[in-house]
Amino acid sequence: MISEHDLLLELKSGNKEAFSLLFRNYYKDLVLFAGNFLPNQTLCEDIVQSVFLKLWEGREVIKIERSLKSFLLRSVQNSCLDELRHVKIVRGHEGMMKDFHFLEALDTEEYVLYSDLQQHLNDALNKLPPNCMEAFLLNRFEGFKYKEIAQRLNVSERTVEVRIGKAINLLRKHLKEFLKILLLFFSI
Amino acid sequence: MEIKNKIDILIAKFLSGQISTKEANELNIWLNEYKENRSYFNQMLNIWQVANPAFNPEEINLLNAEAKVIRKVERGRFLKSPVLIWWQRIAAVLILPIILLGAYLLNNDTSFIAKETYQEVVSPLGTRSKVFLPDGSMVFLNSGSKIKYPVNFRSGARKVSLTGEAYFEVKSDINNPFIVKTSRLKVEATGTIFNVEEFLTDTIAAITLVEGVVGVTINGKKTISMAPNQRISLNKQTNKYQLTQTDSYKWYAWKDGVLAFRDDRLDYVFKKIGLMYNVDISVEDSQIASQIYRATFDGESLDEIFKLLQISAPIRYVHAPRVMTPSGEFSKEKIRVYRK
Repeated sequence: MISEHDLLLELKSGNKEAFSLLFRNYYKDLVLFAGNFLPNQTLCEDIVQSVFLKLWEGREVIKIERSLKSFLLRSVQNSCLDELRHVKIVRGHEGMMKDFHFLEALDTEEYVLYSDLQQHLNDALNKLPPNCMEAFLLNRFEGFKYKEIAQRLNVSERTVEVRIGKAINLLRKHLKEFLKILLLFFSI
Repeated sequence: MEIKNKIDILIAKFLSGQISTKEANELNIWLNEYKENRSYFNQMLNIWQVANPAFNPEEINLLNAEAKVIRKVERGRFLKSPVLIWWQRIAAVLILPIILLGAYLLNNDTSFIAKETYQEVVSPLGTRSKVFLPDGSMVFLNSGSKIKYPVNFRSGARKVSLTGEAYFEVKSDINNPFIVKTSRLKVEATGTIFNVEEFLTDTIAAITLVEGVVGVTINGKKTISMAPNQRISLNKQTNKYQLTQTDSYKWYAWKDGVLAFRDDRLDYVFKKIGLMYNVDISVEDSQIASQIYRATFDGESLDEIFKLLQISAPIRYVHAPRVMTPSGEFSKEKIRVYRK
């Protein structure tokens, strides 16, 4: 297997196959990442494609200080934020503005991609206490509001808050070791 | 454990978009407390996002996308901006500095050539001063403090430097931000009210926001935005800072000649009294120094304050006589405080 470091060297010397390989490695995950900012898939795909085109165009001069993953995530994030500023979604909506602040500070070095985390996440979900898992799934996957979940499960809203809070804390605990291992793996 | 649980609930509510403004503030404060808090939050966010991505990964057509990108790479020209031809480039290079110079001259008119002249106002120990700045902003300068500002503010920024403590009521002007600099802190505001304190001899430098929004830069590095009734205090020795909710009045009451103490240590109480009345007060008993005290003094004389303190705290005090220094001046009045 070729290391990412070697792929980057090949890319610098103009090897289009190395470029294709990197594209295939990261494309889907980056589109999904962009989806956290912009809910439009076509727009997200366009953004990721132009990030890759810029990578190709600047292959000889681009300095990748940390990992390629971090570099790509940051580029995608910046393009998405530019897009958001452009369409003024951010200015128009107070709540959105708050989200925006949080997201801007996201550390891309530590971010774990969808395809790396997905499998382990399913395992971790299965380890949750049943009532926490139920509340979490209803909220995250079915999109129910806390109030609706409380009515459905016949418990108080406060109980739902506690269960979902506990669920993400436990998920983090189960995945913590894994998050660390990935960090080592990704640093070149 | 209890706090951690509470934070988990707040994070979950934030992520699912069900957080209230009050809770969001709480979360924001927690996030700004330590770097670890932010990375804890980021891990939760990461899990949350990956747990249910915005699009179905199966529906992203990798091969199509790859073909499209490779096609553009082969063609070699894919940049959105059209490439300028050579004479346009030269023209652009020539014109840009001319435009910039023109804009600069227009903006600065007369102040362009004249060197900046500064005004300095000092509030001697034991007095307070009220200063009006050229833009109409009002400043109260506490005892033993100094403020420096240009006689005419340049357009683009209203810059003021401060040592000691001052309370600012800034005239609103969005285009020309108002900037206060001390040795460690920088506050940037447009139209707000805030209090800044950084005495050279103190370990703590702090900013308290009364009204509006300000951005605070600590040690030239980290910038934090503050909400009303929040206070940032920086420990100059450890370089650690804290953002806390507070009753802002307590921190700027000095401007009205009022000393407001709300659960403060007695050594702090004496320090503030000493500053206002220009006396050196030393607490000679460490247990007394750390006692918590609550009081408001409004216009009382120093003697009256000490009489009141004696009633409510187990202290006695001794006036040290003023002595002549070698330079022929009398030393500062000194009061020593002991346990009763």
